[in-house]
Amino acid sequence: MTGEAIPSPHKGEGKGEGSSTRVYRRPVPAGWWARRSHYFWYIVREFTALPMALWLLWLLIDIRSAAVRPVNFHPQTSIAFVAFSVVCLAFALYHSFTFLSLAGVIIHVKVLDRPVPSRLIVLSQFALWAVASIVIGFVLIWFAR
Amino acid sequence: MAPKKITIQAARFDPEHDERPRMQSYEIPFSDDSMVVLDGLNYIKAHVDGSLSYRWSCRMGICGSCGMMVNGTPKLTCNAFLRDYWPRPVVVEPLNNFPVIRDLVIDMDDFMHKLQSVKPWIIRKEEMPLGAAEHIQTTSQIDDFRQFSQCINCMLCYAACPVYGLNNEFLGPAATALARRYNLDSRDQGLKQRLPVIASSEGIWECSFVGECSVVCPKGVDPAKAIQQTKLDTTMRFVLPYGNRDPEPPRQLEAEEA
Amino acid sequence: MEFESYDVLIVGGGLAGIRAAIAAVEANPRVKVGMVSKVYPMRSHTVSAEGGAAAVMRPEDSYETHAFDTIKGSDYLADQDVVEAFVREAPLEIIQMEHWGCPWSRDDDGKISVRPFGGMTTWRTCFAADKSGFHMLHTVFQTSLKYPQIHRHDEAFVTKLLIEDSRCVGVVALDIRSGRFDAITAKSVILATGGLGRIYAFTTNANICTGDGMALAYRAGAGLKDMEMVQFHPTGLPFTGILITEAVRGEGGYLLNNQGERFLKRYVPNKMELGPRDIISRAMITEFEEGRGFEGPHGKYMHLDVRHLGEEKIDRKLPFMRELGREFVGIDIVTDPIPVRPVQHYMMGGVDADISGATPILGLYAAGECANVGLNGGNRLGSNSLPECLVFGAAAGRAAAHYAASAKSSGSNPIDAMLWDETRRVETAYMEKHAGEERMGVIREEMQREMDEGAGVFRTREGLSRLVRRLGDLRERFEKVRIDDTSRTFNTDLCAALELDFMLEVSQAVTTSALAREESRGAHSRRDFPERDDEKYLKHTVAFRTDEVLPRLEYRDVRITNFQPKARTY
Repeated sequence: MTGEAIPSPHKGEGKGEGSSTRVYRRPVPAGWWARRSHYFWYIVREFTALPMALWLLWLLIDIRSAAVRPVNFHPQTSIAFVAFSVVCLAFALYHSFTFLSLAGVIIHVKVLDRPVPSRLIVLSQFALWAVASIVIGFVLIWFAR
Repeated sequence: MAPKKITIQAARFDPEHDERPRMQSYEIPFSDDSMVVLDGLNYIKAHVDGSLSYRWSCRMGICGSCGMMVNGTPKLTCNAFLRDYWPRPVVVEPLNNFPVIRDLVIDMDDFMHKLQSVKPWIIRKEEMPLGAAEHIQTTSQIDDFRQFSQCINCMLCYAACPVYGLNNEFLGPAATALARRYNLDSRDQGLKQRLPVIASSEGIWECSFVGECSVVCPKGVDPAKAIQQTKLDTTMRFVLPYGNRDPEPPRQLEAEEA
Repeated sequence: MEFESYDVLIVGGGLAGIRAAIAAVEANPRVKVGMVSKVYPMRSHTVSAEGGAAAVMRPEDSYETHAFDTIKGSDYLADQDVVEAFVREAPLEIIQMEHWGCPWSRDDDGKISVRPFGGMTTWRTCFAADKSGFHMLHTVFQTSLKYPQIHRHDEAFVTKLLIEDSRCVGVVALDIRSGRFDAITAKSVILATGGLGRIYAFTTNANICTGDGMALAYRAGAGLKDMEMVQFHPTGLPFTGILITEAVRGEGGYLLNNQGERFLKRYVPNKMELGPRDIISRAMITEFEEGRGFEGPHGKYMHLDVRHLGEEKIDRKLPFMRELGREFVGIDIVTDPIPVRPVQHYMMGGVDADISGATPILGLYAAGECANVGLNGGNRLGSNSLPECLVFGAAAGRAAAHYAASAKSSGSNPIDAMLWDETRRVETAYMEKHAGEERMGVIREEMQREMDEGAGVFRTREGLSRLVRRLGDLRERFEKVRIDDTSRTFNTDLCAALELDFMLEVSQAVTTSALAREESRGAHSRRDFPERDDEKYLKHTVAFRTDEVLPRLEYRDVRITNFQPKARTY
């Protein structure tokens, strides 16, 4: 263990012989998140914001370049873009899945003086997600035609 | 058949002699399948090395004294069975994220301070006289806060929380769960007085919902849930009209009923 | 030299101690209260209490019934005026706890529930699921945090009471963390240090229950009253000694021997599993001796069966028991019977104190399990101890605050000298001896085994005499004890030595008192004197420390008001 021993601000000091007790502070190791799988998957969850942001940035750049030169806008044929999109989709799905699963912890409602079971809340969140995905997908495809 | 043995590696630190903590290895008889890590430590102290220092008291998982890191996981050593580790060695270290005073003993001052800071007592606008009997409270109302009242102050959650490890100012799981216990108690009217502490930047908003606190909690308090629900509740209070209205005072027994 | 000074100093941070602190402050908001505890208060052994707190809460109940149940339960050794005052205060304390946030379990109408309990003729035990002590301790501790007049010294071990001119003027305490000895002066001191279960090998008690306050008072010249009255709880888990609450029987559990028989019908036919603890413990031991117990790797045991209650009721009323069964025995009490055997649990005996907690030493008070105010006599009824802590903790707090208002502080010169003497005493006895021959753990384990054998449920003259001698030997060996830890910082070896010193002291008081009481009354059961003898022994035993090995015993009449002693059958 590395760290430093520093004098403790323990109260009650200073009377009589005034002994100050050194305490030892252990710093959190830089690789703390790799030590437990739960910490690791938490960092992955937090990290998903980055690929999603990058994908949106790429999309914006593509739209901008399409506005400049429509004929050069073939995002669906760019292998790199498809590969990158798949990776980002995986991260986005993980993000959504963890976020919606945790809704059951965060949201607490009581109906007729009884708490609604968290599984029901989580199911309703996933159902809403499915409905939203279908609706948005439908709209996008309709516009694309 | 030769008696079974097990190795316990315990962290040692004496501020009078040691620059930093070191590990010391002890081999002890593993005589009974129901022996826990705490039994191992007690054996070492009584028969091998009386200078090993650690806290313990009830040995039944209710006093919260004996929390330590066992093979890297915060556990109550009175409830960590040696049979789950044998034949590999058991590494016992002081709880993470707290300063070490000696061997396996950590400095709890910060934790005690944080407990007190959330005003963990019933706050009422007007005290009810004793003669008016008890507040009426239904089992359903107790169910609202029951889970958060189970905390034994063992601090395993603080040892598990990387946010607390990286930022000691964070209010932390147990303190927030305790605040929520009182905020949800139908007899309490003190939410507003607790908000400045819990809804501060070092309060609930420092939490990024790692969730490890609830994983290690030996009593099922689920402090992560307490914190996230508090985030939602305080946000709704802020956003909704009349969100700052005080909760209804609990119904008292009428004089005729008593 | 300046010392920390308080109006009221409380030694011990459990239910009685914290209740006393709050009561002192509420009696006089200008009073300065100090609380010294060798552990953080939420670790106090109160936290393990499970069953509940009895009080007259229902219109069909009466003070007279609660008082009679308690007095009969005590085998008529209780001081009846104390009992009568207690039963009147207990309901107010239950309500006070409720106002402070204690989550008492409720009936459908939202009022505090009551459950049946051993020796109680009606349902009067209030409870917070099956963690009543846990909830009560956390309630008073958290409530105490709002009073700025209460100053805590956590992890400070009191090694000696300071006595000046026959008055208690403070304490010497070891600051465990730094190893420094402090003198803390006070106009009044309240001992609330709990029981002494760890003098026995098989006990429900925590590691910290070592009779500290009793030994401190004993050494200061106070008497220890009724020390022979040690309660053995019928239902402890074998090996660990972990308590299975009486509430399990209160909710309808059955005790079965190896014939599957509810054997208590032959001992307490009218109360069955809800008989008083001393009678049931004796019944179980008798059944063991007659071959009707189950044999196990950790001794004989009986079955405590709650399977017929059903999962829903168990989860609602006894969830902690289900958890304990699962974690420590690997059983599910919904489908398996619980192995149980009698285990040391509570100490009726303690520091001789009156109804307001005052001991014969001026300025010294005692409350809770470490005190004997005369409430429990020869046997305590289950669920009387938690309200006992509240009622007499509050009484002592108020009395101490009142006394402190008119008491003078002591001069600081004698304190200097006393602090120095005590520091040197401990240092020479433990810290400077590196060539000692005896290991503390060995002496302690021998004492505990001997106490289990000689001063258990059934006692004999031979067993007790032998025990007196063995304790004397152990005391001699203890003078040569070596402690391994030479550090000043958080030296738990030193604390263990101080505790063993206290335990040897109180063990001798227990054993000598038991040897002298030649009758069977309450929890004190002599095979050689199996009958109760009201003519000779309707008296309290009071043990005073002497410079010799054995204490001097005095006897004091029991105070009887309304209930004349009768035969005790259930």
